[in-house]
Amino acid sequence: MTETRDALAATRLERLRGGLKRRYAREMRFRMYGILAIAVAVAFLALLLGRIVEQGHTAFYAHEVSVPVYLDPAKIDPSYPQGTNFEQMVAEQQLATQGLSGDAAGPMAAEMRGLFSSELKFQVAEQVAADPSLIGQTVTFDVPVSDDADLFFKGKISRDTPSEQRRLTDRQIGWLDQMEDAGRVHSHFNARLFTSGDSTEAELAGVLGAVVGSALMLMVTALLAIPVGVAAAVYLEEFAPRNRLSALIEVNINNLAAVPSIVYGLLGLALFINWMHLPRSSPLVGGLVLALMALPTIIIATRSSLKAVPPSIREAALAMGASRTQTVFQHVLPLALPGVMTGAIISLAHALGETAPLLLIGMVSFIPGVASSITEPSGALPSLIYIWENASERAFHERTAAAIMVLLAFMIVMNAAAILLRRHFERRW
Amino acid sequence: MKQTIYRSQDGLEGGAPAAGVPAELAAAAQAATDPKGAAPVGPTKIAARDVSVFYGDKQALFDVSLDIPDKTVTALIGPSGCGKSTFLRTMNRMNDTIAGAKVTGRIEMDGEDINARSLDPVLLRARVGMVFQKPNPFPKSIFENVAYGPRIHGLTRSKDELAGVVEESLRRAGLWEEVADRLHSAGTGLSGGQQQRLVIARAIAVNPEVILMDEPCSALDPIATAKIEELIDELRERYCIVIVTHSMAQAARVSQRTAFFHMGRLVETGDTEEIFTNPRERRTLDYITGRFG
Repeated sequence: MTETRDALAATRLERLRGGLKRRYAREMRFRMYGILAIAVAVAFLALLLGRIVEQGHTAFYAHEVSVPVYLDPAKIDPSYPQGTNFEQMVAEQQLATQGLSGDAAGPMAAEMRGLFSSELKFQVAEQVAADPSLIGQTVTFDVPVSDDADLFFKGKISRDTPSEQRRLTDRQIGWLDQMEDAGRVHSHFNARLFTSGDSTEAELAGVLGAVVGSALMLMVTALLAIPVGVAAAVYLEEFAPRNRLSALIEVNINNLAAVPSIVYGLLGLALFINWMHLPRSSPLVGGLVLALMALPTIIIATRSSLKAVPPSIREAALAMGASRTQTVFQHVLPLALPGVMTGAIISLAHALGETAPLLLIGMVSFIPGVASSITEPSGALPSLIYIWENASERAFHERTAAAIMVLLAFMIVMNAAAILLRRHFERRW
Repeated sequence: MKQTIYRSQDGLEGGAPAAGVPAELAAAAQAATDPKGAAPVGPTKIAARDVSVFYGDKQALFDVSLDIPDKTVTALIGPSGCGKSTFLRTMNRMNDTIAGAKVTGRIEMDGEDINARSLDPVLLRARVGMVFQKPNPFPKSIFENVAYGPRIHGLTRSKDELAGVVEESLRRAGLWEEVADRLHSAGTGLSGGQQQRLVIARAIAVNPEVILMDEPCSALDPIATAKIEELIDELRERYCIVIVTHSMAQAARVSQRTAFFHMGRLVETGDTEEIFTNPRERRTLDYITGRFG
């Protein structure tokens, strides 16, 4: 008995050391797993962002070409300049510079027209309408090239591709080369992407309509979901009696947070559009649906940050003779505010990216304009991404990636706002 | 009384410390009870009769009857979980804030039932202040902490008056000299002892009649503790003070009356000197001499 005890004592230190080694090895292994997990997550994120940037960065610049246009008095009716087929006129003039005219030029005019954006005819018509005295003169216009020509200049349409498989003919490529050699083509920042609404022409399409739609929608959501959510949470957490009913409500709120968003879309369609006859495709309806969706999350976040306020503060206020309302609004809620704000903004950011409910309330329709009120039809960023990705023109695909970048930037701004707000309110000790 | 009388069994003489009571405790108790040779105990401020407290199905306090005199420090002592804090919290109805807590019996303050439906707990708490174990200043400035009570109760009419109340309260709490130049910095930035005095200043700013203290020094170092004890002794001249403490020495030093709780029952109550020199109950003696608890 004593011998074994002595033997144990003799090896005690060794066993301790051995055990220590195992413990450290275990810790090292765990750290490795952690680093590995983070590496995997970062790799996927980098892959995702890299792919988007790689695909989308070219959408931020576009090519323009200078086109001298002889405003032919024989073809322009000064009283109705819009009636002139400027595209055909310009194409014929361009062909004439190649020494092609008359019957030889006829079939090629369509090919030449396809190099310029349809913006050309509007620019010329506007200019003439504004100043009819220009008729008879030659004016140089800087117009966007067509989406396919733009892709060619960006190197996305290769001249090595067999002609029948590419969207530009050999002849068109020849003309584009000529224009470029003549120094008439210049690339510039694609401001149109940010200043115009959706368009069927890829080179004219922009995200402004969708950004404005998303912002209006988010405003409706925030104005509705935050006050209602916070009020509901404060009541449930601080005032509601703890009984079966409040337990039932709590379970239901938790369940609502898990309801698929498309169900909210159906609810919105039935409730707001079919029953209340609110305008379809409008940011108002979108915002209402997203508010319903964001409510449970905001309630849960608010309740948990109310719960996290130290009970000592509550006791201090109550013991000073503060009423329950005073305790909540003067002490508990201000302390919970950073958490409430963070929860609210994160659920709004979530709502911003939500697509499924928008499909059902008509926000995936093609809406070219920019909404100026919450009752006008409007697109939204996620639905714009959906529409563009499904478009057949290849030029839309780079714009899809660009729109995703805009959406991500929108979200980063919102999350940064959440962090700043939290810092700001936390600074009040 | 169903309690056995310890003194009669052991035949101890009154006045001389009972066997096993440390001499310094007895001396401290004597000094606290009779510091200036004047009668220390005022008229009864709070009278508790057969007070029981239930938390759900669990009974935490059994039929406690205790008179708490005015202008006196009454110490509630006893081992952890003996119900002394629970009893303390019945006196400003803080137990109301705990779901499932139920108080039976009668507690009168100046002859008025504080559990009466007609009595608003908010009003009661303006008359009965409380200081907690852990200093809990509001996360606001020092000034705002002290001004909070007068403000919500509408006790002052002008800003100057409020500033005056704040200064006076901080002075009485012995904190003014230390914070006069930073009244508008965070109350939570003070040291633990200063925070506790700030909380006391906050409590006395509404000029309560009773101050309840729930182990006010258990989170403080000995120097801060000494300051708080000194303060309690000064405050005794104006207020009825009830203090829960785990420290025998503290009870002996600051209180004039002591009540010993055990297992949710009030075992023994009397003048502090009496309790610490000649306890009638064996359990009291065992507790104050450190044999259990």
